[in-house]
Amino acid sequence: MAMPVSGVPTETPAAQAPELGSGRALGRIGRAVRLNRKATIGAVLLGIFILIALFPGVIAHDSPTQDAYPAQLGVSTAHLLGTNHYGQDLFAQLVYGTRNVLLIAFVVGLATTTIAVLIGVAAAYLGGLTDSSLNVVTDVLLVIPLFPLLIVIAAYAHGGTTLVLIAAITLTSWSYTARQLRSQALTLRRRDFLEAARVRGERPAYIILVELIPTMTSLLVASFLTNALYAVLFASSLQFIGLGDPNTVSWGTTLYWAQNNAALQTGEPLWAIAPGFLIATLGAAFALLNYAFDEIGNPALRPVRRSKRARRTDA
Amino acid sequence: MLEVSGLSVDYLLDRGNVRAVDDVSFTVGRGEFLGIVGESGCGKSTLLFAVAQLLAPPAEVAAGTVTFDGVNLVGLTDKQLSVMRWRDMSVVMQSAMNALNPVKTIGAQFKDAMRAHGKFTAEEIAVRSADVLKMVGIDPVHLGSYPHQLSGGMRQRSMIAMAMLFTPDLVIMDEPTSALDVVAQRSLMVQIKELQLAFGFAVIFVTHDMSLISHFSDRLMVMYAGQVDELGATKTVFDRPLHPYTQGLLEAFPSIRGPRVPLKGIPGNPPDLSRVPSGCRFRPRCPYAIDKCAEVAPDLYPLDGTLVRCLRREDGSLAS
Amino acid sequence: MTDELPRTELLRTESLSRHFKIGSALSRRTLHAVDDVSFAIGEREIVALAGESGSGKSTIARVLARIYKPTSGEVFFEGKPLSSMTSRQERLRYSGLVPMVFQDPFSSINPVFRVQHGVLRCLKLHRPSLSAAQRLEEAARVFDIVGLSPDMLQRFPYELSGGQRQRVGFAQALAMRPRLILADEPVSMLDVSIRIGLLNLMAKLRGEQGVSILYITHDIASARYVADRLIVMYAGQIAETGPIEDVLTHPRHPYTQLLLSAVPDPRAPLSVAAETDRGEPPRVIDPTPGCRFRWRCPLAIDRCAQVTPELAELRPAHSAACHVAQTSSDEVKAFT
Repeated sequence: MAMPVSGVPTETPAAQAPELGSGRALGRIGRAVRLNRKATIGAVLLGIFILIALFPGVIAHDSPTQDAYPAQLGVSTAHLLGTNHYGQDLFAQLVYGTRNVLLIAFVVGLATTTIAVLIGVAAAYLGGLTDSSLNVVTDVLLVIPLFPLLIVIAAYAHGGTTLVLIAAITLTSWSYTARQLRSQALTLRRRDFLEAARVRGERPAYIILVELIPTMTSLLVASFLTNALYAVLFASSLQFIGLGDPNTVSWGTTLYWAQNNAALQTGEPLWAIAPGFLIATLGAAFALLNYAFDEIGNPALRPVRRSKRARRTDA
Repeated sequence: MLEVSGLSVDYLLDRGNVRAVDDVSFTVGRGEFLGIVGESGCGKSTLLFAVAQLLAPPAEVAAGTVTFDGVNLVGLTDKQLSVMRWRDMSVVMQSAMNALNPVKTIGAQFKDAMRAHGKFTAEEIAVRSADVLKMVGIDPVHLGSYPHQLSGGMRQRSMIAMAMLFTPDLVIMDEPTSALDVVAQRSLMVQIKELQLAFGFAVIFVTHDMSLISHFSDRLMVMYAGQVDELGATKTVFDRPLHPYTQGLLEAFPSIRGPRVPLKGIPGNPPDLSRVPSGCRFRPRCPYAIDKCAEVAPDLYPLDGTLVRCLRREDGSLAS
Repeated sequence: MTDELPRTELLRTESLSRHFKIGSALSRRTLHAVDDVSFAIGEREIVALAGESGSGKSTIARVLARIYKPTSGEVFFEGKPLSSMTSRQERLRYSGLVPMVFQDPFSSINPVFRVQHGVLRCLKLHRPSLSAAQRLEEAARVFDIVGLSPDMLQRFPYELSGGQRQRVGFAQALAMRPRLILADEPVSMLDVSIRIGLLNLMAKLRGEQGVSILYITHDIASARYVADRLIVMYAGQIAETGPIEDVLTHPRHPYTQLLLSAVPDPRAPLSVAAETDRGEPPRVIDPTPGCRFRWRCPLAIDRCAQVTPELAELRPAHSAACHVAQTSSDEVKAFT
């Protein structure tokens, strides 16, 4: 589509691909995910993890915490990943641990995106003093190194329950997304339909919430996925270094205990490798899904789908 | 010099192929000024890109040839094309702000263009750059200016100057005046015509503004829904438009002289190219359509030196 | 359609100016987008505000729409100054009586909602006494007036063509029962064959709905087609104003003459004059007194460089701001 230039008529609708077109945002998202192979893989993986988290009892028959079994058993049909040093079934632990990880991922993703949207978009739209003061807050948080800050907060809270982890990660992550969303909102701010809303007498809060934010859905979903991804990594890292609650059943804590018992050296490698692998896989699932949203946001990235029809030769 | 024969361009989209240019044929002789007129969605810009071999996926040439100086350009590689690009054929794009690099001076961009198409010394480049700027009426001191420092009209002139670097045989222009105000538009058109008469190159000029081109083009080609609907000498087409669409277009221009009369315009909208109407594509909007127009898709028919795509002109049932 | 002065005045500006600060903190300069503009719009008339880019016409529209505040001068609506409208209620009422239609059909409607969204919001804000069902009825009614079928209410913007979207813009304005519509280049981005339809719609709104329209455009021919009076702007000031037929047949300001000679008209032979002028309207930054057109004017005299010309009536209801035109008894021709 040609850039709208004064005096130049623009394309009729049939020739345009609906960019932010359909109100059916979910439908559009669904289509994008289906068509992009990377995103489909990501969606499938994430779907599997969600199922595991929702129905852990169906998949793993043992309790994750019960140390009923002989220690250090190898892989077998009874214990798919063997047992750990304490006689706990590793497979069950990891299956039940999925809940904690996904909970953190989704809650942090949601909370971070929400805060970032409210602050970033409001700053962009309202401009002036509001923008400047919100920017100061955002920038201060941006400058502070994220991970050390997390460690300090978690340590200060005397070892985090899941809630503390969620709060700490959210608090330290929202500023990045806020910056991003503010930039996006700045480019959208001058669009005529926002001006039109203002001219017809809408209040600023209404314009931001109802007119502006819905046009940013693909960016918001992408932000959610990115923050969820980082939440998984950060939470697991904190748990791994012992700042999580060691009694929580989670992949990070499993890693912690594995590390404590020098699992790799004492012939229980799966104890360390399996949770690491799962963390990486879930992270990859979020990252792969994100590819679909890059494409929605920037049509230039869409791969050209070649016609399978045989081409006609020159006349 | 340029012969386009049976050219068709398809856009390969998810939902199927859309034919944006359908079986278009025309010629351009040396020093001739051909105007291509049509509204949005008619395919004129796509046609231009196809002729200049600048199509990018998902668009591709589906059929036809573009013969320039005896060589068919369709299917040539970039390397083969670069011999002829800019030296024999150059392109002026629609909006200079989009086509000019905002972080390079005009002079630097001229240098890039010259270096890309030949070996020249710095001296030669400087002299030539100053020359082309003078040709379009810009003080050569602006070689050191950035695009944003120039006015809209001056930017467009620089684009034209850049196209003139090698005095090509053919200059293709895609709506170069649309972003300009009416006075600047007029003076740019006059400038283009002067250059054309002085250097003898041919021009293909694409625009949606028929009245603008009326005084400058030798022949006029009217496009609608991807097809050529009328092609003939400019004066003839204006004085005696044959195709109902051309008639409708001409009547849609309010005049500043003469009596104030209510005008009708053309009701309806151009068709969705993925679902063209059966028979004649203009039929749903045509005041003279008959039943046969929905069944038979007309071909171009020569009538007194003008080509027209209309059944009722062919069989003579539509009186002038 | 009448050549007389408007009998009932709707909106009036008095010495309206709007300046913008540009440049960095080290070199602050002032851009004079609009300078000392006074005009009036009456009931049931279409006034064309014509000029090239940088002439200030869009800025005037935005001041009238209260997007910008005037730097100096005042705007009066129904006799009351805009600056006295401080309460939300007063401002809301004004925005319903003087709505704006935007230029770009592809960015003036929110793409994520159905097209009825804007109309329904206008109704909710400005006619709160209507029930939800009544609002839908009203929406269908105004759609019908602008030539859109009621089933289009449920469509999304991307399903509509440019011309149809602009009609939606007019429908939104109509829903608020306006007295004056500010139309900012409503047809510039539409195909030529579609423009006539919208222009005819504007004439219909004036005739049948009794709405006045301030039609901002750079296309004089379309202004002639639909407007009653014409205001020609140059570099932020009014160059000439009067009944449109009179201004076009007897242009007194050299700039108006230049504009007219540059308008392409296939039925007229090519004029020579416009070939020599290749300048463009200046950006007026920290201007000095004097006529802003003088650098491009073949008739400029010394006085033009010293004193800024003011509008003076040269023919009935027809004024121009030009020293030469005002002092010479014959019609001066700068550009034929």
